[in-house]
Amino acid sequence: MIVLGQLSLTFAFIFALASAAFLFMGLRWDRKDFQRNGYYAVYGFFLTTVIAAAVLLQAFLKKDFSFAYVASHSDATLSTFYRVASFWAGQEGSFLFWLLVLAIAIIVIAVIDLNRLERLTGGAVAVLAVISAVFAALMVFDTGSNPFLRAEAGTMPFGLNPLLLHPGMVFHPPTLFIGYVGLAVPFAFAVSALLIGRGDKLWVRRSQKWAVFGWLFLSLGIGLGAWWAYVVLSFGGYWAWDPVENTSLVPWLTATALLHSFTLYKARGLFKRWSLGLAVLTFWFTILATWTTRTGLISSVHAFGRNQVLIWILSSFLVVTAVGSIGLIVWRWRAFESHDEVESWLSRDFLYYVTNLLFTLFAVAVAFATVAVPLLFPDRAVGPSTYDVIARPLGVVVLAMIAVCPLLAWRKTDGARLRRTLILPTVTMLLSAPLWLYLGFQSTIWGFIGLLVCGFAFGAVIQFVLRSARRAAGPDRSLWSGLGRAFTGSRPRTAAYIVHLGMVLVVAGLLGSSLYKVEQSTILQVKEGETASINGYTLTYRGMTESAGEQSSTRAVATFDVSKDGTSIGTVGPHTDVYPVSGAAVRAVILGRPFEDLFVVTDEPFDATSKTIALRIVIFPLIRWVWIGSILLCVGAAVSLWPRRQRQEQETRAVEPAEADATV
Amino acid sequence: MNKRSRTRLLVATGVIVAVFIVGVVVLVQRQGAYYSQVSELTAGQYDGKNVKVGGRVIGETIQRDAEGVHFAIQDLTGQQATVNVLYSGQMPNTFEPGVDVVVIGRYAADGTLITAEQLQTKCPSKYEGKASPASTQ
Repeated sequence: MIVLGQLSLTFAFIFALASAAFLFMGLRWDRKDFQRNGYYAVYGFFLTTVIAAAVLLQAFLKKDFSFAYVASHSDATLSTFYRVASFWAGQEGSFLFWLLVLAIAIIVIAVIDLNRLERLTGGAVAVLAVISAVFAALMVFDTGSNPFLRAEAGTMPFGLNPLLLHPGMVFHPPTLFIGYVGLAVPFAFAVSALLIGRGDKLWVRRSQKWAVFGWLFLSLGIGLGAWWAYVVLSFGGYWAWDPVENTSLVPWLTATALLHSFTLYKARGLFKRWSLGLAVLTFWFTILATWTTRTGLISSVHAFGRNQVLIWILSSFLVVTAVGSIGLIVWRWRAFESHDEVESWLSRDFLYYVTNLLFTLFAVAVAFATVAVPLLFPDRAVGPSTYDVIARPLGVVVLAMIAVCPLLAWRKTDGARLRRTLILPTVTMLLSAPLWLYLGFQSTIWGFIGLLVCGFAFGAVIQFVLRSARRAAGPDRSLWSGLGRAFTGSRPRTAAYIVHLGMVLVVAGLLGSSLYKVEQSTILQVKEGETASINGYTLTYRGMTESAGEQSSTRAVATFDVSKDGTSIGTVGPHTDVYPVSGAAVRAVILGRPFEDLFVVTDEPFDATSKTIALRIVIFPLIRWVWIGSILLCVGAAVSLWPRRQRQEQETRAVEPAEADATV
Repeated sequence: MNKRSRTRLLVATGVIVAVFIVGVVVLVQRQGAYYSQVSELTAGQYDGKNVKVGGRVIGETIQRDAEGVHFAIQDLTGQQATVNVLYSGQMPNTFEPGVDVVVIGRYAADGTLITAEQLQTKCPSKYEGKASPASTQ
């Protein structure tokens, strides 16, 4: 079986190269027959990749420990669910998973285009084939990344790291990889449009959904990672500004700017060069994320070990992509001249422009501090507090833009109308103030201001919905009927309401849970009735139980009664899970309250023989808003991806043939 | 294209970019930590500065109290130097005697103590299980 896996990977590499070669020749000489052959090679690439993935999957399912990768990432005690998840638990398998997702994306694009044989799409598939070839090459040529190595005789299965035994972790890596692949598609189309010099909006139309799809999965992946870190990893929170976390945030930032540029590119031919640049930058940052995680050049808690072949392949890929894309953009600079312009400061156009600028700057700054500082200035390091100082004010500024944007008109805003639309947001801002005061948030003035801006932005989003409802209802129908239509009328607009509302919640939650976090650790004697208190909460030790847990582990639970200001509000049981092969892990428990989480964990593993427990209690205000907001981000993106009605679809099709290919 | 609006946009862009770059550079200059080895800390130039130091946790020194966890780390370059660390954040799950850690925090020559803001154990979530039974000491 190992031989079959090895062979199909090698063939996947060859097929990817072949299809890239055919497609580029087809692009160069505009030969449809070459393009068709290129697509057939894509079929071959897809099939061989699926076979390779299937071989690895069956090895996990059948507990075939003759696969070195299977032996080092699972053991016989692991349940089927986690054995399937072990597929992407390590470097080798996660590359194969990535290749599989790439193969699915590429075959979808190729199959749709097989009867159309559009030049632009041919070029995009060629670019994706090159990317696939690079990933296949990593596994074929770098033994450290090859999932099909035979285990040495007598190898004991290592088991999966117990920290990874959590649904958040099971789904976090694949969602990120899917997001990265989704964001590779706009890049591929951008490069193709540059190669053939087609400055119209076709490439945006072909890749916009992929961009939204990639953004959706990237948001989901980051959210799941934060949730996992919060409940499992015991890093003292959901975000630690670790290099690997940072490098997944960076493409998310540029992708957010990309989505905004795309809408104006499509609607008015604005931001054409911005769109190209952001598509390239986003993809480049996804590769940088891989580079950071896999090469081990940047010290990180998450990183895999250091590896020479990998460093060479990924570094050259980064350099070639950067140089090639910049060269192409310079070469085609004139073809992507904007038709329109930003006319006034007081307009949405201008805010879109500032959005692009700020998100890009923020992304570049984070990437610089994360990757360039340790490489260029090996004697310097950037700690989390530095990132916080950059991120917090920027978060509030972005929020202020979300707040102001819907109040402004496209192109130019009328002053009197603007004053009228300011009323509702101002009211919600004032209404939110007592809530922040009740929660005691006046202790940090900047945080308080930030949260007031959240209150304002909330009102602005409502205002945004109401205004489109009023417009949809017209003069003679009720606001209610308009409200329905405001939500069903335009999917991108509905998505914008939801996503912006989600962002307001996320930023409020981030501010609340980071600036107003209260933390305390106590060494507690293991004796019934011992107490620890924090901010009005009192935890009283009640006893310890040991039982069998999941995955053949044993679980020791320390039970505490929790009371707030004298009233009992429940019990919590922080616990230690001990796994037969892979060791012990402490697990936190969280008691959710309306406006804050009471987070209880022990600082070190304990069992029935322990004399003391190192108890850590943390209060995270508003943290739930982060999770709810993140869900709204994903829901919003999903809404905009939902298929449009038939009629609109046909209208779009009717327009397409009018746009002829520009000649090279 | 309207020349005036274009110039205004360029000026606005220039201002935003300049403010941002200056801000970030100043911030990194002021708050950035100096990477150093444990053995270099006692030389004097790091007193009161932010430092980032890698070292091996000395098992016998780990102590917990209400302030947090106190421990000492051993130089990784083979020198016989140690430095005390106080960390009050939440302990990574893989913190244990003998692991290599990286701490970022303020160094005080008085008491040769680093008050750590961040503590990283090397590769806890390296996507791998703990070392095989054969390779543990």
